[in-house]
Amino acid sequence: MDTVSQKGRQIGLAGGVESVESARGLSLTWVIGTILPLVILASWQLASSREWVDPVFLPAPSTVVTAFWTMLTQQDLILDFLVSINIVIQGFVYGAVAAVVLGIAAGLSKRFEQFVSPTFNTIRHIPGIAWLPLIVLWLGLGAPAKILVISKTVFFPVFLNTLQGVRGVDEKYIELSRVLKMSRFQLIRKIVLPAATPSIMVSLRYAAGLAWALVVVAEGLSGLQGLGFLIFRAQGLLLTDQLLVCMVLIGLVGFVIDRSMYVAERRILRWRQGFDG
Amino acid sequence: MDRTSETAGADAEPWEDHRLKIRGLSKRFSIPGRRPLEVIQNANLDIAPGEFVSLVGPSGCGKSTLLRLIAGIDGDYQGRIEFEGRLIEGPGLDRGIVFQDHRLLPWLTLAKNIELGLLNADYSAQEQRHLVQSHIELVGLGGFEEAWPHELSGGMAQRGAIARGLVSQPSLLLMDEPFGALDALTRVHLQGELLSIWRAEGISMLLVTHDVDEAIFLSNRVVVMGSNPGRIVRVFEIGSEVRANRTGDEFNHLKQQVLEAMGEISESVFVV
Repeated sequence: MDTVSQKGRQIGLAGGVESVESARGLSLTWVIGTILPLVILASWQLASSREWVDPVFLPAPSTVVTAFWTMLTQQDLILDFLVSINIVIQGFVYGAVAAVVLGIAAGLSKRFEQFVSPTFNTIRHIPGIAWLPLIVLWLGLGAPAKILVISKTVFFPVFLNTLQGVRGVDEKYIELSRVLKMSRFQLIRKIVLPAATPSIMVSLRYAAGLAWALVVVAEGLSGLQGLGFLIFRAQGLLLTDQLLVCMVLIGLVGFVIDRSMYVAERRILRWRQGFDG
Repeated sequence: MDRTSETAGADAEPWEDHRLKIRGLSKRFSIPGRRPLEVIQNANLDIAPGEFVSLVGPSGCGKSTLLRLIAGIDGDYQGRIEFEGRLIEGPGLDRGIVFQDHRLLPWLTLAKNIELGLLNADYSAQEQRHLVQSHIELVGLGGFEEAWPHELSGGMAQRGAIARGLVSQPSLLLMDEPFGALDALTRVHLQGELLSIWRAEGISMLLVTHDVDEAIFLSNRVVVMGSNPGRIVRVFEIGSEVRANRTGDEFNHLKQQVLEAMGEISESVFVV
């Protein structure tokens, strides 16, 4: 028994060493990852200060930072930002929840899949943006129309991946569930859902990116609020500095969304023996 | 209950003497357009309480099918399989099972995996915790409760599977080549541990294996099956003095007899 508990401790120790190494690896990752943005920023500054490009087409980074400060303090940048984020989060949650629930149902029942798949496959091929004009007619220019369009865009990748994940559950685990006398609900809760989670997580991360990109377009096409509205208004008024502020902000938020989804995925799938590259 | 005592009466033996009683068991697989394949033909087998029985035989002799029928995973057979006086209808927590692959769920820790065996058993939360912990200790995995299955070696994972099979306190443990995927050293080690687990638990065990050495070392009786059609060919009683010395002459002699019954070596080789 002693040797066994010692082994247990050794595993704990190995875990400690690993985390020290990964901390060192993390700082190196940051350094490597920031090189390219710094080079781009430097070239941008150089191009503006040497006046290689007309400021109307590409204002200097410092001008953009000033514009950011003005928008933040004297205009409603925060409000517009929150409007966009709110639409994305709502659309993402509704779409993802509906997709996982229906995906599991379709995965478990061939009949249900046959029932919905022709309809879903047709709707899927009509882009979210193509739905927007009709939905705006129904729901008006406000947030609900955009939330619905984003839900639709999030729904399909998540639905298809959930379905595929459920179908990919190893037959041996189903047999185990019979031996352990599991009920249908226990089978879903203890085996089907966890087994499908890797596949679901990949699609959620992908769909989160789609949702954030789509909100900008949707706001540009309808309504008078949000980052998408700001970006198209800036173009109309030739406020290139404001346009760039919005672009950089959209890019950074997208980056943060993707990183958080990645961290969540790592946390949820920590049982998996992965290849870290 | 009435029917039970009737059947038991026919053999003039109470069912308590037979934890498992198989009479005239046949199983066919029919593939359309072909002659139905007789996987098991007219098999009769009893297992007494606390007895350790091994099934050996060439591949395709139906030994795994027989185990799956007893487990209740497969059905659709002719004949009778009685377990503790009742006909088997599907799987039950009174019969534990260990597969060749450990089949621990990768998304649950070792302790949670073993707890699955109690998911539908009638124990209080406190009893469950106690049972899980004592079975982890029984298979020598204390300290690994929170480990993920991928962090365990093949031998450790298989011990976890044995703990899961035992945790609901079945009176019969069915094992389908449980050590088949392990290296020789781990296998010998685990055979020794299985023997002490069997002695500690005092339950009946049925082991399917292709390793004759393993079968003789572990069992009170070795049942040899033959193929085409799958049937029971011979039954060997193994005396405890034979099992005690794994390298002894008696052990080797018996091993050759078993192998011969399996058709693995011919009479002439045996005589030489």
